[in-house]
Amino acid sequence: MEKRHLPERPGWRDEARKLGFTFADMGGEPYWDETSAYRFTLHEIENDLEAPATELDALCREAVSQAIADDYWLERMAIPPEQRDFIADSWRRGEPALYGRMDLAYDGTGPAKLLEYNADTPTSLYESASFQWLWFEQQQQAGVLGPDSDQFNSIHESLVERFAEINTPAEDVHFAADPDNPEDYATVETLAWAAREAGLGAHFTALSAIGLSEDGQFADAESRVIGTLFKLYPWEDMLRDEFAPHLQSSGTRFIEPPWKALVSNKAILPLLWQIAPGHPNLLPAFFLEDVADALTGGSPAPHVAQAFAAAEAQLRAGHVTKPIFSREGAGVSLIQPGKPPVTTPDDSYSHHPMIVQALAPLPDFDGFHPVVGAWIIGETCTGIGLREDRSRITHNLSRFKPHFIEG
Amino acid sequence: MILRKRGRRAALILAGTATLTLTACKDDQVDAQSFPDLESCIAASKQNELWFTEDDCRKNFDAAKQEFMETAPRYASKELCEQEHGVGNCGGDPAAQQQSGGGFSFMPLFMGYMLGSMMSRGGGIFSQPMVRTADGKYATPKGDQSFATNRGAGKVPAQSFQRAPTTLGKPPMSATQVNQRGGFGASATSRPSSSGGRSSFGG
Repeated sequence: MEKRHLPERPGWRDEARKLGFTFADMGGEPYWDETSAYRFTLHEIENDLEAPATELDALCREAVSQAIADDYWLERMAIPPEQRDFIADSWRRGEPALYGRMDLAYDGTGPAKLLEYNADTPTSLYESASFQWLWFEQQQQAGVLGPDSDQFNSIHESLVERFAEINTPAEDVHFAADPDNPEDYATVETLAWAAREAGLGAHFTALSAIGLSEDGQFADAESRVIGTLFKLYPWEDMLRDEFAPHLQSSGTRFIEPPWKALVSNKAILPLLWQIAPGHPNLLPAFFLEDVADALTGGSPAPHVAQAFAAAEAQLRAGHVTKPIFSREGAGVSLIQPGKPPVTTPDDSYSHHPMIVQALAPLPDFDGFHPVVGAWIIGETCTGIGLREDRSRITHNLSRFKPHFIEG
Repeated sequence: MILRKRGRRAALILAGTATLTLTACKDDQVDAQSFPDLESCIAASKQNELWFTEDDCRKNFDAAKQEFMETAPRYASKELCEQEHGVGNCGGDPAAQQQSGGGFSFMPLFMGYMLGSMMSRGGGIFSQPMVRTADGKYATPKGDQSFATNRGAGKVPAQSFQRAPTTLGKPPMSATQVNQRGGFGASATSRPSSSGGRSSFGG
């Protein structure tokens, strides 16, 4: 793994505009940044990222099957009691997942470490599946990248296959998101293109325009009944919104399925560590409530005492606290001995239970810290996209960086 | 031939419809058995070493009947229904009288039900109603799995027990009367940030 400075494609900003990639610059800063790109070897991609990410996804599903039957875990994951049957049913029926993005700390040497898994509402899909794909195509044509170079990116094709696999032919799928957020909209549009290519009917509806019919079904902005709903809106909010009591009785089929509420929940990190302690791709993780005293000289909760003792040195060397519900780095604090804590200013999720995770220091390339986003389509890792930031906590303005494989 | 890690297409470039294959993991296969009626299920449950009881038969028969009413396809005409499910396999919609508007008052006949054991996935017995298909087979309302018979045992993908979109009230994409909007999007788990409002529902 290395960061290589490359010439930008002449006129890429015009092309981005033409293609509707309107957020290539955000807040006066570049968001898409192709002044440099990350280069991986095929061995790094296949052995260090692709295979572990696919394996971690399977481990997450094992964790779901354990949590779903256990009120203790559902409680710790803050799943509302009245929604537990709804979630458990979706799991037992085998409702299939569509997509997710694992954020991995990786520097090209040791094993990649799972920071968290946005298995419910990941964005940056257009950048990963499409604009990065086009960048590679054009840079290879221009001779900037060699003829034998490659890119780990069959995200679009695998999405098309997955849509066909989990839906009936010509099924109508509604895609709901916030139309005023270009990033969110680009992600659902990318998905909708793939759904159409799979032969499905794809219809957009603004999330806030979804209505409840007199028959208790959900309907779109044009008052058409919604049979299958893809929602770029987190389950933890769906389960608590005004329409929450109608989720199950509406008969709507949801993508992602309701059980994803357990996977995108950061409380799954302590559960994964409990199921597979010492897993090379996992970081030690606990609920802050169980170990807060222990980290300041007291004792851990008895049920985690042994696991805490095994991970104590690693946690003391540096750890991160984050709320079980949070996106884009909100509420994350990074604590290292002898250094001032690093926190994000966004505290909109900080009132939720917190977890503690051992720190996996992100590599430093020219003063930037990249995080590898491993895309899981269905149950398989089929591509990556990288974000980097000067700060060691990746957030919504972190730059997207293209990648290629060479060697 | 070098195996490429990069797909041949992206959403920017359209290259026709993909060749699609339907696959299911072996791990996802569950024990299933189907019955044309409640009596044959009860009779089977009395044989040795089966994974369901007479009680499971009864409870799931009721559940399958109800799910049939909620999710079986509904059609505007009997001809259209018979095109999809075969001549003689359709009837009137018993729920039609209670509906306002109407217009979709024919549906396939209930041809029995399929039980599935979800023991390996953490719990219980699930069921799906069965209807006929145009080519003389049997399928669940969702229609993506079809079976040669409605009286047999075997392994089927757990996804076969996924509920079909509801058709009770109104089938998907049909016009409906909306009473209330705006019940999603309140972002209940997020509170206003001291650094400013939230930007995205994703991340």
